[in-house]
Amino acid sequence: MCSLFFDEVGVLLELGIESDPEGGCGVISVENLSKEFNGIKALDRVTLQIEKGEAFGLIGPNGAGKTTLVRVLAGQIAAGAGEIYFEGEAIDPRERRYHLNMGLVPQEAAFYGRLSARENLELIGLLYGMPKASVRPRAAELLDWSGLTEHAERQVRFFSQGMQQRLSLAMGLMHEPDYLYLDEPTAGLDPQARFSLWDLILRLSDQGTAILMTTHNMDEADRLCKRLAVLVNGAIREEGTPEQIKALLGSDRLELTLQTVDAELLDGLCGPLDLSWEQKVDRVVITGSRLSEKIPRIVTALGSNILDLQYKEVTLEDAFLRFMGRVRI
Amino acid sequence: MRGWRSLISKDWKTILRNRLLLVVLIIYPFIIMGVIGAAFYDTGRPVPLGVVNLDYLEKGEIVWVGNRVGAGRLEAQRLLRAGGKIESYNNQGEALSALQAEEVGIIALTWDPPEGRKWIGSKLSRDQVADAFSQLQLSAPLRDYDTADIALRSFEDGTNDLLFGLRSEYYPSLGETLWLDGQNNDSSSLLERFSADVTETIEYQSESAARDALSKGRIDAVIILPRGFIHDLKTLDRTADIQVILDQSNLVKAEFAETSIRGFLSRINEGVVRSKMAAVAVGLYSLVGGGDFFGTQITGLREIRDNLESIRAALAGNPELQATLDGGIELADTVINDIEEAMTYLRGTALPISLDVSSVAGRPLSTKDAVVPSLIALSILWTGVLCGAILMVGEDEEGMSQRLRLTDMGPFALIGSKLLLATAIVFVQSITMLLVAVAILGAFASNIPLALVVIAATCFSCIGIGLLIAAFARQVAGAVILSVLISFPLIFMTGALFPLSQMPAFMQWIARAVPVTYAIEALSGVMLRGQSIAGVGWEIVVLLAFGVAFLALSSILFKRRAV
Repeated sequence: MCSLFFDEVGVLLELGIESDPEGGCGVISVENLSKEFNGIKALDRVTLQIEKGEAFGLIGPNGAGKTTLVRVLAGQIAAGAGEIYFEGEAIDPRERRYHLNMGLVPQEAAFYGRLSARENLELIGLLYGMPKASVRPRAAELLDWSGLTEHAERQVRFFSQGMQQRLSLAMGLMHEPDYLYLDEPTAGLDPQARFSLWDLILRLSDQGTAILMTTHNMDEADRLCKRLAVLVNGAIREEGTPEQIKALLGSDRLELTLQTVDAELLDGLCGPLDLSWEQKVDRVVITGSRLSEKIPRIVTALGSNILDLQYKEVTLEDAFLRFMGRVRI
Repeated sequence: MRGWRSLISKDWKTILRNRLLLVVLIIYPFIIMGVIGAAFYDTGRPVPLGVVNLDYLEKGEIVWVGNRVGAGRLEAQRLLRAGGKIESYNNQGEALSALQAEEVGIIALTWDPPEGRKWIGSKLSRDQVADAFSQLQLSAPLRDYDTADIALRSFEDGTNDLLFGLRSEYYPSLGETLWLDGQNNDSSSLLERFSADVTETIEYQSESAARDALSKGRIDAVIILPRGFIHDLKTLDRTADIQVILDQSNLVKAEFAETSIRGFLSRINEGVVRSKMAAVAVGLYSLVGGGDFFGTQITGLREIRDNLESIRAALAGNPELQATLDGGIELADTVINDIEEAMTYLRGTALPISLDVSSVAGRPLSTKDAVVPSLIALSILWTGVLCGAILMVGEDEEGMSQRLRLTDMGPFALIGSKLLLATAIVFVQSITMLLVAVAILGAFASNIPLALVVIAATCFSCIGIGLLIAAFARQVAGAVILSVLISFPLIFMTGALFPLSQMPAFMQWIARAVPVTYAIEALSGVMLRGQSIAGVGWEIVVLLAFGVAFLALSSILFKRRAV
């Protein structure tokens, strides 16, 4: 399967990146999903697959259709066109029986502020039809898992935002769903709260839960998601592992401060290594594919001419920003 | 019913833990109903009624009476001559002091062409004054004046050409008493006796003082008893004119006062008419049977006839004379027969109209009784709408709607649990109000079990309105504002405050579209008019139908609405 990429002038480029490493059907797969709101395309022929135990990230600017996609998959709104498969079977996620297998953590933390953490969890359990006897231990388990045991009896409205978000996540897991939809799980959290939530999400995907999450935080997408899709104007513009996306959209850089800049030498060095160089003020910046592997040869060639050397790995954020700079939204 | 119990217990906990909701939904209704209830609480306080009794004057007070006979001087002299010598006075002062010193019983002011006005006086007895006045009355009405000044002015401006001044005890037909219901009454005691159960009478010396008190709100109405009130009552061919002044700035108060006044006056009327009829019957009886008729010995027709009979017998030898007498006896028999027939008629004649006012409730109702059903219905409207709207919008405000949709709860669990909890809350509130009204305040309710059925149906439909409102709001604050905006005008469209029958036709149509209208009708029917299930079945059905419609509409709106 190939991803399509638009360059600056809108020319389709084939980039040839494998988006389906195992080659089979995903736990959740979507084909040509479209959805319009009042004539505006919120989703435009979206095709993607999510594997078991994989966190799949949706990134893209505000209004790109990320939340719409989550809502369609969670059966909250109807799809306009296209197919949705759960474990190979074409289904309508709005049907009740599929709900029991999916968990949703909405964008804004959703819980009853005047109930305690335990009461919130138990209520959700009961509403999922769990027997009373199993609701208590499951709630206790999740309280422990989310580190809220000592706050279990406090009314949730007094919780910090991080604690609330952890509870919200736990509430989505009460009925042990196989698929989990997270809509910007860490929006508005401080770094510490974000880290603890990441930890929880990673543990979930390790346990085999298929997770579809939207995020604006590239660091988060990089760390949590095995694969990513870049959604722009409702269409998937890019898909792949974080490394693939980074490699595709940006590149690592080697910044050298040299005693003398010998253009001929640099051309002779970079050409055969499939690298390119440019001079920026006092530094020479070398970029290209698999740069890190070629550093020893560059260092050997330039030798004592190097006064200072900095290797800068591309971040997903850089890649995303560069990508967005190229796309007409 | 999956999830209903969990949601209900969640919502109940939320209300108990939320001070604002606790006050708005649980406590506030009692406060507001307590306030309204207290305002309508009927202490049984009688209507304060101002009385100006012109039929009573202190002994020795001077009364002025004017008349326009045309030839005042001649007439006055003719009338006063009945009392013997006519005194002449040079001025008003002299005349008055003679009157006050009881040298004369009556003084008069007339025109005496060469000298101008002239004061004369005479020692007329009370009966002679009465006689004189009744003669004057034949040509022109007599006018009473409160003060000498006003009386003199009427003389000067030509309204009267004859003015009498007399001591009150000489004034004919003033301050008489009437034997009624086994008691002798003067005008004041008569009024007081017959109005004691509905009014509290306060006597005022003059009409202006009474009007003043009325406009200051100290009394609810003024009743003015005219001079000779009792006299007029007693006289067969006279009607006593009573003047009533109402404060119509408050229509309810005015109506209440008027009804009370009409009530006791009609009882007096009835008593007097009965006694007048009895007097006529007694008169007729005496006419036939003879005897003592109010102190006068009367020879009855029957005795006269018997005398004729015995004379006829004595004239046995003179058939011609006997034949003449026969005619007389026959006439007497006819007259006796006619009179006896009339007496039978009189004895058998009841009052033309007998008004027996009673309440359909089986006992007289007070304002307190009458207001309880409306109060309960309005309370259900207010709290039910708020409660339904707030509980439902709460899910949205907490952001839980999306999450709840994915749970395994029954399709109607959300709306159903809100409906059930809100109904329970409002139902318990209404029952408490009803029981407090009945048990503690002594309000009337004839069929409490059926009233509870009506209350439940009312809760259902009003909460339906609330749930419908919730479909148009995302936050509790918005839902509350919408609820108030909708409930407030509805209160005025239900007939709770103004009778529906008095509203223009289009308002009546609007009222028909408001469930609370039916609630008030059914509730007051059940509680006050002794209606059975057959009588209020329609209203209950309409209330339930409204509820189902609101519920269906709100579920559709909730289903449709984007998350």
